[in-house]
Amino acid sequence: MNRNLPPQGEETPTPPPADPIRLHRELAALWDTPAGRQQLGAVNHSILGKRFILAAFFFFGVGGLLAMLIRVQLATSGTAFVGPEIYGQLFTMHGTVMMFLFAIPMFEGFAIYLLPKLLGARDLAFPRLTAYGFWCYIFGATILLFAMIAGVAPDSGWFMYTPLSSATYSPGINADVWLLGITFVEISALSAAVEITVSVLKVRAPGMSLARMPILAWYLLITALMMLFGFPPLILGSILLELERAADLPFFDPTRGGDSLLWQHLFWLFGHPEVYIIFLPAAGAISMMIPTFARHELVGYRAVIVAVIAMAFLSFGLWVHHMFTVGIPHLALAFFSAASGLVAIPTAVQIFAWIATLAAGRPRFDVPMLYLGGFFFIFVVGGLTGVMLAMVPFNWQAHDTHFVVAHLHYVLVGGFVFPMMAAAYYWLPHFTGRLAEHRLSKTAFWAIFIGFNLTFFHMHLTGLRGMPRRVDTYPVEARLDWLNLLSSVGSFVMTIGFALFVVDLVVHMRFGRRFRRNPWAARTLEWAMPTPPTSYAFASLPHIEERGDRLSPAREGARLAGGRGYLGFTRNGWMETLGVDMVGGRPDQLIVLPRQTFLPLWSGLLTAAMVLCLLAKVYWLALAAFLAVVVSLLAWTGATGARQDVGALPIGNGASARPHWETEGPPSWWAMVLTCAAEATLFSSLLFGGLFLWLVAPQWPPARPAMPDPLLAAACAVLLVLAALSGRGGLASLLRERSPALGLVLCALAHGGAALLFALMAARVPTPTAHAHNATALVLLALCGLRAGFGAVLAGYGLWRLRAGFLSAARSLDLRIGRVWHDYAAATGLIGLGAAFAFAWLATSGGAGS
Amino acid sequence: MRPRSLLLLGAGFTVWAVAFVALYAMLSVGCRFGWHEVALDMAGGLSLQRLQLIAIFLVHLAAGAAVVVVLRLWKDRGFLYPLAYFAAIAALGASVFSFAGVFFLSTCQ
Repeated sequence: MNRNLPPQGEETPTPPPADPIRLHRELAALWDTPAGRQQLGAVNHSILGKRFILAAFFFFGVGGLLAMLIRVQLATSGTAFVGPEIYGQLFTMHGTVMMFLFAIPMFEGFAIYLLPKLLGARDLAFPRLTAYGFWCYIFGATILLFAMIAGVAPDSGWFMYTPLSSATYSPGINADVWLLGITFVEISALSAAVEITVSVLKVRAPGMSLARMPILAWYLLITALMMLFGFPPLILGSILLELERAADLPFFDPTRGGDSLLWQHLFWLFGHPEVYIIFLPAAGAISMMIPTFARHELVGYRAVIVAVIAMAFLSFGLWVHHMFTVGIPHLALAFFSAASGLVAIPTAVQIFAWIATLAAGRPRFDVPMLYLGGFFFIFVVGGLTGVMLAMVPFNWQAHDTHFVVAHLHYVLVGGFVFPMMAAAYYWLPHFTGRLAEHRLSKTAFWAIFIGFNLTFFHMHLTGLRGMPRRVDTYPVEARLDWLNLLSSVGSFVMTIGFALFVVDLVVHMRFGRRFRRNPWAARTLEWAMPTPPTSYAFASLPHIEERGDRLSPAREGARLAGGRGYLGFTRNGWMETLGVDMVGGRPDQLIVLPRQTFLPLWSGLLTAAMVLCLLAKVYWLALAAFLAVVVSLLAWTGATGARQDVGALPIGNGASARPHWETEGPPSWWAMVLTCAAEATLFSSLLFGGLFLWLVAPQWPPARPAMPDPLLAAACAVLLVLAALSGRGGLASLLRERSPALGLVLCALAHGGAALLFALMAARVPTPTAHAHNATALVLLALCGLRAGFGAVLAGYGLWRLRAGFLSAARSLDLRIGRVWHDYAAATGLIGLGAAFAFAWLATSGGAGS
Repeated sequence: MRPRSLLLLGAGFTVWAVAFVALYAMLSVGCRFGWHEVALDMAGGLSLQRLQLIAIFLVHLAAGAAVVVVLRLWKDRGFLYPLAYFAAIAALGASVFSFAGVFFLSTCQ
């Protein structure tokens, strides 16, 4: 990349505006992904967004097929269609596929495709991370799919409760497939969370302050932040359960100081926010569609943002309502019951805002509105039964019955599937450049709507009559046959509706009428471009002077296509977009994005190899694969940065900006901050687990508490502090135009030493299989050691970048990213050491089971 | 405005979340150590458990109210501040509704 750079200080005039056709050719030459094998190296957001959406829709079909089999089994009493073992796999995989392989990836695809276009950018902040996330999703999903075909699919329910999912009661590979496969898919989700958060905050069109962001961007930002803090507890839970299954570390075994309720806490700490993580993007889509069809801007834009913030926080305070029957004090029940009821208020604020928008405008009804009508009805019913279930006495009665199945389907299908079908009809012209004929759309809608209500409304009744979930049959004496038969018939009607929906989309794509631009007369930026969109989205970038839902796409689109916005030219063979000041939207950096590459695919393949080795219990090979993953990820950096200072470059409209690697807060720096935040959540969850077990679990205290050697711990603490200080010292030297080598070498050695000492302390934990306390101490020390080890790798990476000529006082980004990690590893390492001593002290002072 | 001002959006609800964690954790600790059975004469016969929970609740309520007051003073500074102010009011209301049970509900049954 640096071959074409002008040296700093040399005059770099703004390239003359190209004529639109030439500009298009030049941009396409840079941004297009060549056909054939090269498609596997695609990093473009439009391509990857569509791939995510298509793959998620395929898995929706898989999950739907499993649901059909479930309904066949339950159609009448005593059916012998499948036995209990297969039935266990069917309902587990149905839930798993729908939650992890359909809903979350569908939202990710939707966000990846739309977000840059809404924000006036050419791509997301980390295109290769998008691609890596996609491959992780595909490979993880494939593992689950093949396990199902091989008859070894997970069968302990989509929430994998222990002890059913522990090795004693699930000795086969089934539960391992879930734990490793889903953790693999969650890498994809966390990648998307970092990608979306940083992109919304940094990669927007100039002038687009937070106050001018389209409402969907607010929804996606808050959802991504929820993912960042919601997924780590489940990742930790999955790691602990896999360690219990593979290495007999008894975190959830009550006979050895563990507690199966710890799994429930960790799972639902993720699981309940997950419901809102699924709903909020759909609500964002609704907030975009309704103003278009109402021909009136969204009423209560600010109130809706406050409501979404409130929902995000409240959703983390409800998780125990899934555990009301496990035996919790009344006061604690009241906390969670109150929070569960409260969340209805911000939900209602949004619903009233949508109704008010319709009331204030001049609504015109089209197919997306029909599906939104379905959403209103079904979601409100689901919300009301949700309030019922938030009330403890009713919850005790309905717990684990089909009433809960009905409720969750009304919420999730109403809150996600119907809005996303409306969104499909609304944005499909954007994908295809064609307008739908809607010949089958209405028929499909009514089949789905009627079929859905026929299927799930009756489950309220069967549930209230005591029909339990996750049981493969029921006796004829229960007199549930007719209601269940109606549910099964309804499910087939619904399936016919979905089949018609698919046919309708295919007809649309094949025979729809072509249109020029903005068929719905929307006022948001994604319509200010040719449709289907070009790979670079905007030929030049807009300057936003109005709120994001008050724009004139037709006028703006013509101006931008003519190259009269920012970056209406190409240079140096760079793929460029702009970064802005987070709050005010002032352009503050030129972001140079990476070109198409196979590296994300290789990293994904290596990650898959690691997961497969873990599944096969070939741990040495898994370790080798892990190291290969780290190396492959470091190899990504070869194409970033420059070997000489560049300085400010013209970006058009008389403005200039430095390339991102020469600025204070580029996207990659923020990504590291967010990664630390996610890891801190995982670490906090582990500390919570240690305290929870001490406080609640039986069979305490342990026979031999795991007290670290004070001398080793003191040496480790000194090394951690030294690592952080020398990392900072190296950076300070670089900024003073001196060599940072000494600081980096010291930092690497100190981190390495700390990692070794952590490993030594972990190895000295007495019999970690004997008691959950010892197992927790082992994982705590190992995690701190891993962090320090990664710190050593980052410091070594800094040295390599220095040697390769990528560092200077102006180009200090690599070391500043490293500093964030060094500080974080030191702080959490010290906390970890303190926690290890505290846990040992608490263990010697007794526990609940003492 | 600096990026840090974004954090204000969650200030009120962060106080709510901290209160939630503190109350739930200390409720469990109190039950574990039998604080509900320790009656304090100087507190009108209230149990140690209820007293500490009420104290935690009131401290957080005061913190939430302080956030509201500060944000009210700043709410004309720009787009984010009024949002943060109204979110903080919502969080304060949520705190009262979620945690008022510390005054009257049984703590360890």
